[in-house]
Amino acid sequence: MESMAKGPKELFEEVINQGLCTLCGACAGTCPYLVSYQGRIVQLDHCTRSEGECYQYCPRTHIDLDDVSRKIFNQPYAEGELGTFTEVLIARASAGSIRKKAQYGGVVTSLISLAMDEGMIDRAILTATDDDKMPFPFVASNRTEVLRSAGSSYMACSVLEAYNRLSREDHDKIGIVGVPCQVLGLSKMKMNSPAHRFNIENVSLTIGLFCTWALSPNRFQQYLRDHLNLSSVIRFDIPPPPAERFDAYTPNGCVSIGLDQVKEYRMPTCAYCLDMTSEFADISVGSAEGLPGWNTLIVRTKAGADLMDRAKSAGLVETGVLPDENLTHLKKAAWNKKKRALKEIVSRTGSQDNLLYVALSPQMAEELLK
Amino acid sequence: MPDIDMDAPGKIVLMMGNEAIARGALEAGVMVATSYPGTPTSEILPAIADVAERRNIYAEWSVNEAVAMMVAAGAAFGGVRAMSSMKQNGTNVALDFISTLVMRGLRQGGGLVLIDSDDPGTRNSPNEQDTRPVAKWLDIPLLEPGDFQEAKDMTRWLFELSEELDSICMLRCVSKISHSRGNVILGELPEIKLKPKPYLPLDLNMWRGVDSHAFLHRKLERAREIFESSPFNQYLGPDRAELLIITCGSCWLHAREAVRLMGLGDRVGILKLGTLSPLPEKLIETHLEKAKNVLFVEETDPFLERSVMEFFASLPAEKRTNVFFGKRSGHIPAYGEVNPDLAIEAIADLTGETYVSRDPAYNEKAETGSQKEVIPRSGALCAGCPHRASLWAIKTALKLDGRDGFITADNGCNGGAIGPSGFYLAKTLMNMGGGAGVADGLGILDRFGFGQPVIGGVGDSTFYHACMPVLLNGVWNKSNFTLVVYDNSVTAMTGWQPTPGTGTTAMRHPADVIKIEDICQAMGVRIEICDPFDLKATTGTMLDVIRDEDHGPRVVIMRRECELTRARREPRPFEVWVNPALCLGDACGCDRLCTRVFRCPGLRWNEVTGQSMIDEVLCAGCGVCADICPVGAIERRALEPEAGDRTREVAR
Repeated sequence: MESMAKGPKELFEEVINQGLCTLCGACAGTCPYLVSYQGRIVQLDHCTRSEGECYQYCPRTHIDLDDVSRKIFNQPYAEGELGTFTEVLIARASAGSIRKKAQYGGVVTSLISLAMDEGMIDRAILTATDDDKMPFPFVASNRTEVLRSAGSSYMACSVLEAYNRLSREDHDKIGIVGVPCQVLGLSKMKMNSPAHRFNIENVSLTIGLFCTWALSPNRFQQYLRDHLNLSSVIRFDIPPPPAERFDAYTPNGCVSIGLDQVKEYRMPTCAYCLDMTSEFADISVGSAEGLPGWNTLIVRTKAGADLMDRAKSAGLVETGVLPDENLTHLKKAAWNKKKRALKEIVSRTGSQDNLLYVALSPQMAEELLK
Repeated sequence: MPDIDMDAPGKIVLMMGNEAIARGALEAGVMVATSYPGTPTSEILPAIADVAERRNIYAEWSVNEAVAMMVAAGAAFGGVRAMSSMKQNGTNVALDFISTLVMRGLRQGGGLVLIDSDDPGTRNSPNEQDTRPVAKWLDIPLLEPGDFQEAKDMTRWLFELSEELDSICMLRCVSKISHSRGNVILGELPEIKLKPKPYLPLDLNMWRGVDSHAFLHRKLERAREIFESSPFNQYLGPDRAELLIITCGSCWLHAREAVRLMGLGDRVGILKLGTLSPLPEKLIETHLEKAKNVLFVEETDPFLERSVMEFFASLPAEKRTNVFFGKRSGHIPAYGEVNPDLAIEAIADLTGETYVSRDPAYNEKAETGSQKEVIPRSGALCAGCPHRASLWAIKTALKLDGRDGFITADNGCNGGAIGPSGFYLAKTLMNMGGGAGVADGLGILDRFGFGQPVIGGVGDSTFYHACMPVLLNGVWNKSNFTLVVYDNSVTAMTGWQPTPGTGTTAMRHPADVIKIEDICQAMGVRIEICDPFDLKATTGTMLDVIRDEDHGPRVVIMRRECELTRARREPRPFEVWVNPALCLGDACGCDRLCTRVFRCPGLRWNEVTGQSMIDEVLCAGCGVCADICPVGAIERRALEPEAGDRTREVAR
């Protein structure tokens, strides 16, 4: 594989110093040299290796989508808008207490809790926010801890660093909730098991979130600090279009910031991302436009389908059919993200033959660039 | 070390040059000796201090050399013989006082001698400096010993000269004499019954203005007269020589050895001067008349060379028949230590004689062999040194901070911050106090947009020596820097001398402990005290402190005892070993962090197994490496109950 011959030097040259780093954390916490800290990947010291897992697992170094798809789904890459899937539906947590704390339908929280209760996983790597609303990855071992993670921060978080820090002697089964770049990084690890570390075969559940872009944690957090009393914020929300708002909910009501202003703090790398729905997860979850309190779900693998069945039979989630209009809209949004990204990539490289890290079939590339 | 005060006149004793100097001072009846540790003088003061109690005299480690010089001078004013010893940099620190003192004289008090020992070759100094020109510049009589006997005898005699002239006198030594050993015939030790009684007449010199300068010159003329017939100036060789070597100091030994090896004793004469300044001109003139070619062999500057040539230029034309060789002609380098080979080469060139000191074939073998077998090594911190841990924590904090911060280093073991042992964190290393001073200077640039965090790093002894005025300056003028004081509770590099913080004096009397944090508190700065072996906490504190930028300097004291002083008292706290089942070696996930980056001498790379291992002889058992191994392959077991109470945090 091409990327085998490269290491930390190229990781910085080709990705991090090029503004392509998504802060997914795939390179961090695997060795004493790379950590994620306050919105940066920091190199604590010089590594002399010419090849390394840091470069290999980075979702912004060369990725052949066919290879990944064959590993995860046993079939080549599905060139449609939503990737490979078996079912698209809407769902929400049955428990009002979960829905109250959660983003939209609370499905992710319910599924993770169930997976733990059923023994599908022992622990889960989730994201929480600290008192300053900075996101950080953490490992939850029980339902109470899982609830701690409910709610989105919209800022990038190095979830995979927490995965990387799991010990080689740890034989628990792990679930991970991540955004598309993190799921992609994880998929690369599944293709070439990390040596000397936690056994990747024990990652038995991956839940991917829909994502259009993420905000730069140190810059946006500073902005929030300057404009809000962060300690009083309960949660954030970006309502669906045409709202164009970023809402911060406090006990005294909701403070809104114009979405255009917030978009200034997007990570530049998100402009080059083709994946809106976490195409390589077991289940992907996002909001349901026009259906407040519900999530849209895309079930992709047997493990994902299994989990949904159990959730339904345990009465933990209510499900429903995704209206055609919503499905059309979802597909269009996902396709548009691919189009925008490829256009940005080509405009950056200057050539349709250089698609940076992405390897797509020529037909799909042509289709997207039309 | 022999008993410096043994009562055995005439006995031949093997002595270090520094010990001989100490003995010479005792034989002169010195009553007050002061110093600050500095290689190569550090042994002089303790030699006197060890016998001070029973000889009813006083020896003091002063806080710095300016203070040492002033204390000795004060004692001399009080009517007793006093001495201060220091290295070249120390003399620099004392110069302000000395330059004033020469204009005032000794107030008709006791003799005052300055012992300055230089470090040619910069083995143990931030600079290379030949301090002899200071004596000429400030009009101080100057002697330089050619061997260990002279080190003793000159020291003893200088007190007499000092009293006769009512002037401070200087002995300039070098590492080679100070630190080597040779036979010394002991003299008599006087019984001291003197009671200090300052005479202290009205200081007319203060009112004389430039007349006191003229008065000083007259003292020097008297010195010159005395020097003309001094037994410290010797000539060895034919009456008329084909080549006249003029030499001084340890180069006398090199010149004699060269001439002997080359068998040129009947053709080459050696004039060795012991009294260097003022120059005994008549003596010089006599010898210049008897030879044409003159070669100067001296260390390090062309001091004697220039003095003689200056005198030569004043001679009438018909007497100016000599040709001079030395530093100017390139025969002897004007830097670094001189050795017999250099003297041989120079003499060979000027006499046409050759001398092969080593078979060329063997020479080549030795060169290639040493290139292969001798591993180039830089200076390294000891196994178990707390500075390594401090610097590791600072390194992590600076990287996490992400603004390209760095250290400005100072003298002492912690100066290793400038090399691989200190992870190349330091960008400058200057004089005593320079670590703080340069940081202060960089710290005021933040008002111009300089955004890199600056850390001034100094040792505890250096803090007392030179940093208090700097810190005060930084507070007063609001400079943005962090002062890290590596407090290993001793003046380590020079041989573990006490400080105002260690609770003892040179004479081993108990003393009040003056804590660094108490001094800093009086200045009103933020102070943090860290245990460098607690890497996680220390890193967190450093990160917080370097970012705390709005109120001027702040201080972090890295407090943990020097490993070598600790090891003298206690056994090692941990047994440490590498678990081969876990060690990743140079694989991805480690890349030899412990032996390649951390580089404690107690850790070794086993090329055969491709893993690290503990060197059981060198390992100090501090256990810190167990905390940095990314996979916990370095394991440790507490051997002493208290040792295990340090938080263990694996780096991953």
